[in-house]
Amino acid sequence: MEGKSYQRLPRVKIREMRDDYMKFELRDTDASVANALRRVMIAEVPTVAIDLVEIEINSSVLNDEFIAHRLGLIPLTSDRAMSMRFSLPFRPNPRRHSKDLLSSDHTVVPVDFSDSAGMESSEQKGIIIVKLRRGQELRLRAIARKGIGKDHAKWSPAATVTFMYEPDIRINEELMDMLTLDEKKAWVESSPTKVFDFDPKTEKVVVVDPEAYTYDDEVIKKAEAMGKPGLVDIIAKEDSFIFTVESTGAVKASQLLLNAIEVLKQKLDAVRLSEDTVEADDQFGELGAHMRGG
Amino acid sequence: MTSKREEKMKKMFGKPSAESEDYAAVRELFRHHIESFDHFVTAGLETMLNKIKPIEVEESKTARGKLLPFECRQAKLSYTGKFMADVYFKYNDGPAIRENFNFGQLPIMLMSKLCHLRGANPEKLVSCKEESSEMGGYFVLNGLERVVRLVILPKRNYPTSMVRNSFRDRKEGYTDKAVVIRCAREDQSSVTVKLYYLRNDSARLGFWIQGREYLLPVGLVLKALIDTTDHEIYKNLTCCYVEKDESCDVNKYEKGKGNVGTQLVGERAHIILDEVRDFITRRQCLEHIGGHFRPLMRGLEDESDLSVVGEAVLEDYIFVHLDKGFDKFNLLIFMVQKLFSLMDQTSLPDNPDALQNHEVLLPGHLITIYLKEKLEDWLQRAKKLLQDQINNKSKTFDFCSLVNVKKVLDKNPSKHISLAIENMLKTGRLVTQSGLDLQQRAGLTVQAERLNYLRYLSHFRAVHRGASFAGLRTTSVRKLLPESWGFLCPVHTPDGEPCGLLNHMTSTCRITSYFDAQGNIRNFLNIRESILTVLSELQMISSVPKLVQAGPPANLSVLLDGCVVGSISSKVIEKVVAQLRRLKVSASSVIPDDLEVGYVPLSSRGAYPGLYLFTSPSRFVRPIKNISIPSDEGQNIELIGPFEQVFMEIRCPDGRDGGRKDAFPATHEEIHPTGMLSVVASLTPWSDHNQSPRNMYQCQMAKQTMAFSLQALCNRADQKLYHLKTPQSPIVRTSAYKKYCIDEYPTGTNAIVAVLSYTGYDMEDAMILNKSSVDRGMFHGLIYQTETIDLSDQKSRSDRSRKFFRRSNLNKNSSIDSDGLPYVGQTIKPNEELYSIHNEVTNESRSIKHKGSEPVIVDYVAIDGKKLLQKASIRFRHPRNPVIGDKFSSRHGQKGVCSQLWPDIDMPFSGVTGMRPDLIINPHAFPSRMTIAMLLESVAAKGGSLHGKYVDATPFANSKNVNEDTPQQSKTLVDELGEMLKVKGFNYHGTEVMYSGVYGTELTCEIFMGPVYYQRLRHMVSDKYQVRSTGTIDQITHQPIKGRKRGGGIRFGEMERDSMLAHGAAYLLHDRLHTCSDYHIADVCSICGSILTTSFVKPERRVGRAVKGLPPIRASKKVICHACQTSRGMETVAMPYVFKYLAAELAAMNIKLTLQLNNAA
Repeated sequence: MEGKSYQRLPRVKIREMRDDYMKFELRDTDASVANALRRVMIAEVPTVAIDLVEIEINSSVLNDEFIAHRLGLIPLTSDRAMSMRFSLPFRPNPRRHSKDLLSSDHTVVPVDFSDSAGMESSEQKGIIIVKLRRGQELRLRAIARKGIGKDHAKWSPAATVTFMYEPDIRINEELMDMLTLDEKKAWVESSPTKVFDFDPKTEKVVVVDPEAYTYDDEVIKKAEAMGKPGLVDIIAKEDSFIFTVESTGAVKASQLLLNAIEVLKQKLDAVRLSEDTVEADDQFGELGAHMRGG
Repeated sequence: MTSKREEKMKKMFGKPSAESEDYAAVRELFRHHIESFDHFVTAGLETMLNKIKPIEVEESKTARGKLLPFECRQAKLSYTGKFMADVYFKYNDGPAIRENFNFGQLPIMLMSKLCHLRGANPEKLVSCKEESSEMGGYFVLNGLERVVRLVILPKRNYPTSMVRNSFRDRKEGYTDKAVVIRCAREDQSSVTVKLYYLRNDSARLGFWIQGREYLLPVGLVLKALIDTTDHEIYKNLTCCYVEKDESCDVNKYEKGKGNVGTQLVGERAHIILDEVRDFITRRQCLEHIGGHFRPLMRGLEDESDLSVVGEAVLEDYIFVHLDKGFDKFNLLIFMVQKLFSLMDQTSLPDNPDALQNHEVLLPGHLITIYLKEKLEDWLQRAKKLLQDQINNKSKTFDFCSLVNVKKVLDKNPSKHISLAIENMLKTGRLVTQSGLDLQQRAGLTVQAERLNYLRYLSHFRAVHRGASFAGLRTTSVRKLLPESWGFLCPVHTPDGEPCGLLNHMTSTCRITSYFDAQGNIRNFLNIRESILTVLSELQMISSVPKLVQAGPPANLSVLLDGCVVGSISSKVIEKVVAQLRRLKVSASSVIPDDLEVGYVPLSSRGAYPGLYLFTSPSRFVRPIKNISIPSDEGQNIELIGPFEQVFMEIRCPDGRDGGRKDAFPATHEEIHPTGMLSVVASLTPWSDHNQSPRNMYQCQMAKQTMAFSLQALCNRADQKLYHLKTPQSPIVRTSAYKKYCIDEYPTGTNAIVAVLSYTGYDMEDAMILNKSSVDRGMFHGLIYQTETIDLSDQKSRSDRSRKFFRRSNLNKNSSIDSDGLPYVGQTIKPNEELYSIHNEVTNESRSIKHKGSEPVIVDYVAIDGKKLLQKASIRFRHPRNPVIGDKFSSRHGQKGVCSQLWPDIDMPFSGVTGMRPDLIINPHAFPSRMTIAMLLESVAAKGGSLHGKYVDATPFANSKNVNEDTPQQSKTLVDELGEMLKVKGFNYHGTEVMYSGVYGTELTCEIFMGPVYYQRLRHMVSDKYQVRSTGTIDQITHQPIKGRKRGGGIRFGEMERDSMLAHGAAYLLHDRLHTCSDYHIADVCSICGSILTTSFVKPERRVGRAVKGLPPIRASKKVICHACQTSRGMETVAMPYVFKYLAAELAAMNIKLTLQLNNAA
């Protein structure tokens, strides 16, 4: 138990970062950690979303549940969600668009998309809740609550979180040289994504973008079909991952990652705290002993 | 009816969007219903009334304050118009007196000429609270929408040769062969006449009068029809046979080809004439007929001149579509010749199940004939009443006074006539003595369910073979025959009981009507005359000068609407036919574009040859391209019928000859191969790539899909409505999708479907739904239910007191509004108060509770706007979000049940896009079912969504005009689709590398993933689950009752019992069949062994020894056997209660059941 430590120090390198989008590398760790991060980002980072709706008047074409459901799905800025402990009374008075929602707390407002795209017209007022005709009326009070995506998808702060194993592509130059020009071009073309390129000057095939490779084995199949198995060798690196995170806007993509790590830490803390305690046995049963290394 | 929300609604729809979409194609689908009714109200009624003999009638019209159809639906009223008619009275030679009679409220078809909505544009329709694409074609009766079902009838005015065993059993001496003709009058009423062949080589003409068949010798009828001689009849009958030595002409034709007559014809003619040797003149024949039929003829019972009666018989029952005796004579000769030819097997019998010999019963025509009969009945009754009044000696009755006459007539209420029509439409049942020459008397109308648009639309396109065939054990009627190609859809027929009997018209198929393309009423007399002039210009030898002409091999008879108008030499007939077709297509000619040119060519032992022309309404027609006419005129679309189609050369539009011989070059071409499919079938994408039964399943499932059912949902009061909250337009769609505006009523969602076996919850057609997708609204649906309460109905039962809605003043905090009805938007749980009724006399209020097992939301409350609130309809809303056990299906007959709502994070995800599928299905769904189109759809939709465009998936697209195609036609569909993916960097085959959502590791194989349009079917567990532990039991058997509604159980039947026995699970068996069922402890007398003779003896009461705080001491029950008069042998035995019941039943039959008890067990 006390002997060798398997501890690794994962590294994160951010490649690209926008409010709602982030791409980063995660190195020196396991698929389990990478996947845990993905899962937490999607389902366990808390956000604020409208949950209880009290409808006073609704003469619109949509029925009450439908409007409540739509309100719930509007992303609200939830930077403070991590620190919140209670549900938050939230008193919007929506008319047609999410911008019409009036909040009692200026830190929790509907996400503003208009500036991010920049080119949207001035009429853009956010997400349409319901279109009202003259004479139709909708008055309601809504309460937003903190929650996690596991409970309902409306609390999920991530639109998409995905990761891929970083590929290691090695071209067998000897075999490659045996190919004719046309064959080389055909081979490069066989990949649906632009991983390889043919340099007309040097007449060589080069790897331009290894990360564009989708592990679809098309180039390997093509090489086999050309009678040159082993033309290229592609292995997925077991310990480095490229993450893509898209946020709904409730939390900034960068914050989402930090929050996710925080949640993950808390979960681990919960396990560590209950180490060697009876609680662990209560909580996890046989698994508790297992986690303690027993 | 006013509604609580009406004011707002009015404002809301005050100015509907100005877009008026092109509904022409959709309108076309409904046209036959409306046109037939239009004809009924404009002209049909008049001609029908003219045919009724003793009276003359003027006109009918509606006169009524505007009541719109939506109001009828909500208030459960009927959409009717006042039916007025003028009745003429004429005394001897005095002047005619016109008197207006009210015949009650006649139901009006929506969108017909009398409908308020006729000609309204979409905006107007919306302001009338209808669908913007309302098509009409149905009736609103008591708030329900009913459609007249199209029923197949034998083709009118065409003599069909038939072979049926039932003919032989008719009478001694009959054979199984006959020629049958269904003659239709101008007012659509018809009379069927049958010409039977007798074993003694003679023939009999049979017709029905008042439910009985009467048979006349052919010779007698022939002689009675016109003044003729035996020789003439003989010549006419034998004209189809030319003796070989007589002429060398015969040799010109191929050996035997077209020879319908044989040398036996002459002998038979002799026999026929011999039978009626005693009748020489026409008058003799008529008197003979008249003598026999006088008692049967209405109104002619007292006629002294028998020949008048005879003529009436011929006029009313024999070949009623013809007026002149001469025409009838010719037709009869033609039929006799056809019968002889059938007997000699020189021509084949016509197939009564083939569409070739069919037409259809249209709503307007049905109402016309039914109304005619009802009016005739009314007049008969009126006559009888007047007669009785006159004959009644005790009273003086002034017949000449119109007031008196009217008073008498009032005893015969005229308003019942419209009521009869309304009842017929409500129930679909005909109440008639004569049967109206129809095969069925029930099931003529159906309710137009608006479950979804496709189901609704199918009601108007469905054609039923006839209820009488449903019970038939033979399957020949259900067969898909080649004759119905292009008219009836081979795909769109239900499987199971009505398979092959309930067909659907193809999308291009139409029904001919009384209206031409410009909407004017056709004048058939003029049309027929102009056809005749055209024909005589084209070398037709007219039959008008009575000359005997040579028969079939040399000349072919020409029949125009069942009238022998002449004959054409078989040498020129092909040219005549071609010329007729040319005239038919050209706009300038008088020949209608839907004339059916049924040219049956000479053949050896084929169909009986001739040229049969039909102009009549209610025939099937469909458009095809005539390629023998130069297409530069732009008018080469010809309407053809099923009768002529059989003998035409029509090729597929792929530009090839279809393996046709050079001798028969194609003269026509299909417009598009999808013309053979119905609307619903043509919506299946790439149905040509699917195994055919799957397309049939899809047609059924499309009709039970929970879809966007209605746009005017807020104004509807349907009993039950299913509604999909979040529908989408399919990415992969056929050309029919746009043509028929299905986007107005989309039926499903583009779900991202991954085909893999994940977690095992997708076994056996189960499917896994992504919980997050469902959270975000995928497949969310609603059920609307309307309850209509009419308190004025309830009044009449017991007490006279008036009741109305009002909340009782006592409890003000109840959930009911002050008007006694629930608040809109409120949720009502089971056994909560729903509404409250106030009784005016007793001054009591009573609140009615919500029945049912689940909470409902009040969606809408509509009330009747009268002074007292007595009528209200409350619409409830049940949310129906997807749960485990709900049924879904793709558009390829691949249905499945949701087995899990799987968390998003545990779903596999694509490494590139990070997408998690909405839905997972098992790959085993494909190999045996071969729904290749579903795979194609997945790839195409993926490509389409990547490129941001819809993909056209019209079936048979590659068999259309290959010649004109671009040179790169070698590219297959798959190549095209694969290329779309490849361009965007996706796998050519539609597969993706995916990672396990649980472990984050790559799945061992690439996963086929893409969007597929999924439909949610209406079968949902929430409406079906059944749970019971204890509950109501049956009164007699003490066993649990059945039925979900009443809280009953599910039967543990014999087969279940068998499996328990096989497992040896005896204790469980005992538990199910006894303990949980009718467990009973019975007292048995071991002395006499009876369980029925027990009786309780009441012990003397021990008075008041009860200690305070303790339960009173229960007197021990003493049981004695009534028979043995002792309690010595009494034992208690546990047994099923039914056993005791059995003993009681047996005792009632004097059978004693004794039990022998022992402890041996």
